[in-house]
Amino acid sequence: MPSAATVLAAFMAVLFLLPTESPGQEKDNEKVANKNTRSKAEVEKLINTVGKTPPEWFDSVKLNYPGSLDLNWPQPPPSRQWNNQRNVGQYIWDIINPNPSRWKSGVRFMHFMLKKHAGDEQLRNRVMQSMGRMYFDFFRDYPRAAFWWRASGVDKDESPEAVHLAECYWRMGNQDMAKELLGKLPNFYSAIKLWADMGETDKALRVANAFAQSGYVDMAYLSAGDACRTVGKLDDATAYYKSVLNVPATGRMARRIQRNQRRAWANIEGIKLYDSLDLSTVPDGKYQGYAPGYAGNVYVEVAVAKGRITSVKVTSHKEKQFYSAITDTTSQIVKQQGLSGIDATTGATITSEAIINATARALSKAGK
Amino acid sequence: MRLNWFSGPSKKKPVGAMGHLLHWAAAPWRYSPIRRTVQTLSLLAFLGLFLYVCFPYTAVPDAPPTEQTAADTAPVWPSHYADDILRKQVVPAELFLAVDPLVSISTAIASRTWVWSLSFAGAVLVVCLFVPRGFCGYICPLGTVIDLFDWAIGRRARRLNVSGRGWYVNLKYYLLAGVLVSSLFGVLISGFFAAIPIITRAAAYLLTPLETGLARSWHQVPPINSGQVVSLVLLAIVLGLGLLKRRFWCRYVCPSGAIFSLVGMLRLTERKVEKSCVQCGKCAEVCPFDAINDDFTTRAADCAFCQTCGGACRLSAIQFVPRWHSLEVNVVEEPATEEASIGRRGFLAAGVGITTAAIGGTAAAKAIEATAAGSGDTPIRYPVRPPGSVPEKHFLQMCVRCGECLQACPNDVLQPLAFEQGIAGLWTPAVNANWSGCEPSCNNCCQVCPTGAIRDIPLEEKRVARMGLATVNQQTCLPYAGSDSCQICVDVCKASGYDAIEFMTVGTETDERGAPIEGTGMLAPVVIADKCVGCGLCQTRCYAMNVKTEKLLDESAIIVEAGPGKEDRMMSGSYIELREAEQRKREAEQRERSESEGGDESEDGGDSYLPDFLK
Repeated sequence: MPSAATVLAAFMAVLFLLPTESPGQEKDNEKVANKNTRSKAEVEKLINTVGKTPPEWFDSVKLNYPGSLDLNWPQPPPSRQWNNQRNVGQYIWDIINPNPSRWKSGVRFMHFMLKKHAGDEQLRNRVMQSMGRMYFDFFRDYPRAAFWWRASGVDKDESPEAVHLAECYWRMGNQDMAKELLGKLPNFYSAIKLWADMGETDKALRVANAFAQSGYVDMAYLSAGDACRTVGKLDDATAYYKSVLNVPATGRMARRIQRNQRRAWANIEGIKLYDSLDLSTVPDGKYQGYAPGYAGNVYVEVAVAKGRITSVKVTSHKEKQFYSAITDTTSQIVKQQGLSGIDATTGATITSEAIINATARALSKAGK
Repeated sequence: MRLNWFSGPSKKKPVGAMGHLLHWAAAPWRYSPIRRTVQTLSLLAFLGLFLYVCFPYTAVPDAPPTEQTAADTAPVWPSHYADDILRKQVVPAELFLAVDPLVSISTAIASRTWVWSLSFAGAVLVVCLFVPRGFCGYICPLGTVIDLFDWAIGRRARRLNVSGRGWYVNLKYYLLAGVLVSSLFGVLISGFFAAIPIITRAAAYLLTPLETGLARSWHQVPPINSGQVVSLVLLAIVLGLGLLKRRFWCRYVCPSGAIFSLVGMLRLTERKVEKSCVQCGKCAEVCPFDAINDDFTTRAADCAFCQTCGGACRLSAIQFVPRWHSLEVNVVEEPATEEASIGRRGFLAAGVGITTAAIGGTAAAKAIEATAAGSGDTPIRYPVRPPGSVPEKHFLQMCVRCGECLQACPNDVLQPLAFEQGIAGLWTPAVNANWSGCEPSCNNCCQVCPTGAIRDIPLEEKRVARMGLATVNQQTCLPYAGSDSCQICVDVCKASGYDAIEFMTVGTETDERGAPIEGTGMLAPVVIADKCVGCGLCQTRCYAMNVKTEKLLDESAIIVEAGPGKEDRMMSGSYIELREAEQRKREAEQRERSESEGGDESEDGGDSYLPDFLK
């Protein structure tokens, strides 16, 4: 069993990092919950064909990394001193992750590292895991993410990253593969969201309750609420969110608990506003709304014409690791013509939720 | 052959409404209506070019991109400001500056380069062989404004009037000599004295704020600085000279006029007086240029061919004819006092004057150089010059301080320096990025510069010409200081199309194993030096938001700095090619480095994508 620290790390990791919906080919996202659109053989084939090939942009992207980096990527870094110009992991974290313009060259850089360290099994696994993460986080490229994660052995190691591998299976169209893998893994926090997104609310709630027992009540109930909200059980969701508000925000984790309570409160508010709204009564026009995101408010502008949401735009935000939430969530809202059944972008859950809540607020203002 | 265009022998009494109006408007309208009409049209043309063609706010912004900003779509560059001024320019917006010969001649001498407006000045000088000093009489908007001042104010306040011809009569030649000598030493002072820069600068300092205030809003008018006050005082002096005598400035002081006077020695036409002259003195009374001798012959170097005298003469004794045309001219019985005695004394006086001017010009040049920035012990703070500015030394030699670029600049990014760079930098344009940033859709300053101090580069070149480099102050920038998340500089840089500021996570907290904790730390701005052109939009936003509105900082935490290595200052050549060469160099270095550091990145097609152990 992984240690408590590992679980917590996975926990936190999955709470904020990672996107959803696959690269174009998978338009059938959340509504496929209960059926497999691809057989296991088809998914395997996808991973082994697409996953093994470079993306089309690969050759046109120039390799670019600072000369000061220690390409031997010692882990943990030799010095306690954080240095993003020296330590590869910290360079990825600080410089590549927050800059979409660097994502492609980031993959290119990892590929360079893979060739350089092809003979060092431990190091090359680290590189491949990072590469899987990039394909997943940056591009929602599930076949390639799955390919590199499997090559690095995350499923065999029962690494928290394996939850994301499971998500890849599901996103590629085979829920059974995802469930099978999840069943083999210890209870990682990130599994709550995946179970919920796949429509297995009961399983999600069971994992959430297990976490609540072990002391992470705020996080557990928040994701339990999210799980219910995803499938439209709004009363249950509200009940879970309310129990987050009852957790005493004290001790070492006070800041985290407060943050989660703000989220819970915003979600209750968002549900309330949207529940009482009839889109067809909203006059044509553009409406502004905001809701708390990770780092301050996220502002959106919603355009409505003839009872339909024609566009949702994020006009201002201070989010950090938002990956594709901003484009993904807004386009989901337009596609769904509503706010239920939107699955938050994995890894940018808070930003996604903020966009949904802000949209609810904008529309509720308009509907009155 | 006659070249008379004055109105014939004047009537005793005004007839009709028009006649009354002309009578009221002052004699020159009656005597030489064509000249007054040309003057009026010329002034209107000057104002039209300045207030309409150079006014940037008639530009209609390009349609904004409809798609939400994707991570890597090519930027859509707007061009509305540049297009707008191109559309409006039937003639160059800076036409009047280009035809002032002192502007181009002095800058060409000072900078030892060919200045494009020399050809315009040359053309005007050729025209002035036919209409000697016609520029002064007909075209010069400063002259027309002086006429207006003299008519409105000067004729009512005669207490200061001087009579006769004093020591000052040849001042313009000495000033011209001084300006040219100073230019020889590489110091340009024609901006202080040349006619069109004076009137253009007056417009830039008086009309531009007025127009901005009325057409846009008063809070968009930048505050006035001490340099502008000095300029306005000089303008007041130029106009105030009219209290001594009509057109005193043009007659005796204006060095641009002096060039026309000198070229006038080669004139092909002139004013002549026929024998029928009864010496009534009317012509000398009306002459605005003091160009009529006591014996009523012409002081040809001063005659501006305005023909007012022709209209005033009731006997039609005054004729404007080719120089070689023989008339039965008035016989000079006695040489006029000082005029004829251009003997030894006059020669001596001129010599002394020229010498004084030369010494004065040299002294001015040395004094200005001495006060220049960087000459003392104080560290230099380089001014951020307009995009496409030539190297600073040449810039100071070529910028005639006219202020045309200030009017053409949207949002007053360019503002005149006062004495921050010494007298040498007085009135030169510099970027005030706290006020506003340089629009990527605009190259108006490049388009209107009359001397090429700001090179006339196309918009595509201007967009990559570096004016400076934005520098983040890591002590004060909110995310670096850990005080708040803030990304307004990144947002504005992306929206502008440069996308030259990216994020870096700072203050990441780590767990006990040294791994970063998700959600900790803040995103702080990092300027990508290869992409930043120093437009200053980031500084403007930071200043407006964090300094003015939120009052979190004392000064903007991101500041555009100029200086060696931070700006592209070239006399010629392409900025695009410069950028491309730098890009190639960087890529070659990267390639070399990655090759030496191993990793098989050889370009042998898709087969090399998978490492061998996975095949």
